[in-house]
Amino acid sequence: MYEFIRGPLLWVAFIVFIAGLIYRIAALVNLSLKKDQVVYDHFSTSWALRSIFHWLLPLNRTVAQYPVYSIMTYAFHILLLGVPIFLLAHSVLWYESWQISWWSLPEDVADYLSLLMLALILFLIIRRMVAPYARIVTTAADYLLLVVVALPFLTGYLAYHQWINYHLMVILHMLSGELMLILIPFTKLSHMIFFFFSRAHIGSEFGERRGTVTW
Amino acid sequence: MGEPVNTEVIKERLDAAKSARMKMWLELCAHCGLCAESCFFYLAHDKDPTYMPSYKVIKTLGEMYKKKGKVSREFLEETLDIAWGKCTVCRRCSQFCPFGIDMALMISTARGICNTQGVVPEGLQKAVANYWAEGNQMAMTKEDWLETCTWMESETGEEIAGLKIPMDKEGANIMYTVNAREPMYYPQDIGMAATIFHIAGEDWTMSSEGWDDTNLAMFAGDTKCMTHVVKQTYDAAIRLKAKNIAITE
Repeated sequence: MYEFIRGPLLWVAFIVFIAGLIYRIAALVNLSLKKDQVVYDHFSTSWALRSIFHWLLPLNRTVAQYPVYSIMTYAFHILLLGVPIFLLAHSVLWYESWQISWWSLPEDVADYLSLLMLALILFLIIRRMVAPYARIVTTAADYLLLVVVALPFLTGYLAYHQWINYHLMVILHMLSGELMLILIPFTKLSHMIFFFFSRAHIGSEFGERRGTVTW
Repeated sequence: MGEPVNTEVIKERLDAAKSARMKMWLELCAHCGLCAESCFFYLAHDKDPTYMPSYKVIKTLGEMYKKKGKVSREFLEETLDIAWGKCTVCRRCSQFCPFGIDMALMISTARGICNTQGVVPEGLQKAVANYWAEGNQMAMTKEDWLETCTWMESETGEEIAGLKIPMDKEGANIMYTVNAREPMYYPQDIGMAATIFHIAGEDWTMSSEGWDDTNLAMFAGDTKCMTHVVKQTYDAAIRLKAKNIAITE
């Protein structure tokens, strides 16, 4: 069981994740060539890059309007990518399989950061329930995706501390991580890449056509 | 009222509008709610969330796509209420959305779909009829238009000697266009513009056709009439070999 999830299933997850994203991008570009000529007519690389830059970093008016939520979501995204990549236990696995290694977080720091991540997700869930402007547009899928993102952190935390059942937690940890990878190309998690396309377009649309900024 | 809805036509329009952008936007919205503060309707209604941009898009165009065009007349009436009554398509939300989703364009698309079923605010319907009849939103005849310009030329000319309002002059640097409300209700505006052009020594003209630069057909979501209105002005500029088109206000 462990070997299967650690081996073939992980390959499946990574292949679906990467091939899925490539397929989604190809389909989008293909459709745009047929139906979005206006985007190409007014595309501007510099406006597109500036638009992406101002939103990858908190350099826009929207962030200033919502300071608390912005701090929370920036922390959320940084931890979401950073903790798994720089986790010592993951590094060991990378080294075992591929003999590659890089810098890792101290174990106790990673531990606290995982707890912080779970707290951030709880905050995002509560915000969806409490803030009227978020609540009115929130769907079940929005909560489910937050749960999907929370699971690898929760099970990883429990496994590290060997609480409940270590073996079961490790299996659930890998399964939930693989589930998230597989879901990325086909759910709203795809904003991981489509963010760049969408921002590039609106940056050009307002910048190149009207000479005004979108940040 | 009560007429059946042609869902085939709605479906066609929805499919035609489903560009790569539209597909991406429909999928991308994270329901974060950050567009709320960008909307003056939302702010002016004590932050009532039913006025927030993403909600208005989801309730109109979003529903249409979800139902694949199979919507009722009641739904279209509600859409009219939202897409015209609660949104001016100012596009501010498109500038504030973290993903840059062009919500205003989506509301415009919803308006266009309502238009195919004759669900359009009355005032705009009247304007569209006027554009088709006389080429301007006030249904002012060519005769009345020319007469107004001549009248303004002589009235303003009493104050400023030598002032002219050149009509249909070929090769001018500027072809000046106005809002049709000006000759109708505020003809002095034309005199004032003429004064500025005269004092500045500008080489300018006005056209006997395509002189109305408003486009209420665009707000009505009537793409056919909207094109007709713009084309009239461009045709006039080409016919007069004008180098620039200036619009009022």
